[in-house]
Amino acid sequence: MSETGSTLPAERRLSLLVTVLAFALPVIFVLVPLAIFLGYSFFSVDQGTIVYGLSLGNYIRFFTDPIFLPVFWNTIVLCVSVAIICILLAYPAAYFLTTLKGRWRYALLMLLLVPLLMSYVIKIYAIRSILGLNGFLNKALVALGILQEPSTLFVFNMNAILLTLTLLLIPFAILPIFLSLERIPQVLLRASDDLGASGLQTFLRITLPLSLPGVASAASFVFVLAIGDFLTPQMVGGISGFTFGRILYSQFGTAYNWPFGAALSVALAVVVIAAILIGERFGRNRGISV
Amino acid sequence: MNQNTDLLTLRSVSKSYGTVPVLHDIDLSIRDGEFLTVLGPSGSGKTTVLRLIGGLEPLTSGEIRLDGQDIGRMPINRRPFNTVFQDYALFPHLTVSGNVGYGLSVRHIQRKEIARRVAEALELVQLGRFADRFPAQLSGGQRQRVALARALICQPRLILLDEPLAALDLELRRQMQEFLKSIQREIKTTFLFVTHDQEEAIGMADRICVMEAGHIRQLGTPHDLYYKPNCEFVARFFGENNLVAGKLGPIQGELRSIETPLGHLICSISDQPHLKVAAEGAGAYAAFRPEALHLADAKDTDNRFSGTISDMAFAGSSTVVTIAAGADNAAQRLRLRVPSRVDGSALKSGEAVSLSFAPHEGHLVLA
Repeated sequence: MSETGSTLPAERRLSLLVTVLAFALPVIFVLVPLAIFLGYSFFSVDQGTIVYGLSLGNYIRFFTDPIFLPVFWNTIVLCVSVAIICILLAYPAAYFLTTLKGRWRYALLMLLLVPLLMSYVIKIYAIRSILGLNGFLNKALVALGILQEPSTLFVFNMNAILLTLTLLLIPFAILPIFLSLERIPQVLLRASDDLGASGLQTFLRITLPLSLPGVASAASFVFVLAIGDFLTPQMVGGISGFTFGRILYSQFGTAYNWPFGAALSVALAVVVIAAILIGERFGRNRGISV
Repeated sequence: MNQNTDLLTLRSVSKSYGTVPVLHDIDLSIRDGEFLTVLGPSGSGKTTVLRLIGGLEPLTSGEIRLDGQDIGRMPINRRPFNTVFQDYALFPHLTVSGNVGYGLSVRHIQRKEIARRVAEALELVQLGRFADRFPAQLSGGQRQRVALARALICQPRLILLDEPLAALDLELRRQMQEFLKSIQREIKTTFLFVTHDQEEAIGMADRICVMEAGHIRQLGTPHDLYYKPNCEFVARFFGENNLVAGKLGPIQGELRSIETPLGHLICSISDQPHLKVAAEGAGAYAAFRPEALHLADAKDTDNRFSGTISDMAFAGSSTVVTIAAGADNAAQRLRLRVPSRVDGSALKSGEAVSLSFAPHEGHLVLA
């Protein structure tokens, strides 16, 4: 009796420690930095030094200055477009994967995911050389007779950012869609056939709705990754391809205005959180395991 | 509906998965309006029969005729049959009415008409109050009834049920058995019910088709299968039975004798022509049910033999008595059922007893 009495508190102390750690790590490494950022967004800069006085000046500047809101809005439109294009390309690919049998299915899935293992910067360089004036894309379009001469349509502009982000982020769309399609029990599709539905009806009424959670998570993944990216716009966007990420980057770099940069990242964080919440809301499924 | 006309006929239907044969030349006629149960142990091919009829699997060879037309290669969505799947296969993203109305809505039937028929079908399966729930919010028995309503709303010529009660607990299973049977009587649709549970089969079926190893062993009413099994497999599989091996003796009208280690036994062969033509001396079994066996008294002169009680097992309303019988009192183990009594049975383990069964209650099966 006395033995268990002495070991129990030790066990309790250990489990308490584990609990504290489990909560402390995300608080210290995620919440505290975010809170510091939020705090910085209310400071200001005077001749290169940060003034630690609270003011709403940064937010007022963000909403009133004619530069920031249009860029902010255009960036959101760009990233929504990237997400939509990724979904439209990834869905057929993921669907095709689920029609394959056994080892072929996973071999091909692996091939599609291999680009994730490559360096981000190298991939951007590779895509840049494909999109360039003398790149593969232009040469191919000219060779096919679609263009008379190489076009600057996708060189150092928004189109280049759109194409590059789409190419980079497609694997992040394929995986969740594939997983949600694969989780649909085959017997549900047979039941739909059995009740007289055609192949198209079964797809539209059973497969598609049941895979929407995967589509929602894919879309929010791609959107969040795209909107947080400043490297890609920096490298393929040129002068005309100006995104919110680049403005943010410049505030912390060349402009050396951390408080204003913090305010801009708070605005970005609001959009990201909203995207994740929307993805989560539609990503929830109604007990597929029936 | 006429139970004497055939709705569906399977002619020398075979099915193989790769090189593994699972059905060998099956011939089966399903009568219009009947409740036909396909009964067999797992691996007997019973579910394959259902899947071939439903169109869930392609035929390897043979034909399936409906109204004189071969539908063996008709695509699944054009067959006028509907299936109740083993784990129900309800669509999780649709409500109960969405599920039940599915078969009508894919046929582009008007919304009003669908709503009316869904309400009707839900009323029939007593789920009217649950129309707006999702499958995940229902109990097993309720899901089962949704699956049934979803199948029968399409007014199929035949409803295929693939072990639909396997996942339910015993009490619910009994209720669902009665429920299924009563619905079948009400809508007068032909049911093809697959199960491995012979008690379930006896309780519900008009006719039972017993399968083993890809062959149909016997097709008949539960009564026929119980009292006139045509082979050793059916005699052993269908209900409790005592089988004693021996050699056939001469025929005496509707009875035939058999020489066994228990002595000279006489069993009924009425309505079993194959037992009349079997040669004398051929190997066979005398089969008699535990409830037909009883303690012999002075007037029992036929089928009388002695044995020793080796075990007594209380089984509720009856007590199962295991008896070692035969020349050295160990050659044959027989089971006998006696009604249970609150103050215990008069019988004791180790006691020597004299047993008998009436000739018309015994039957013969060829070895």
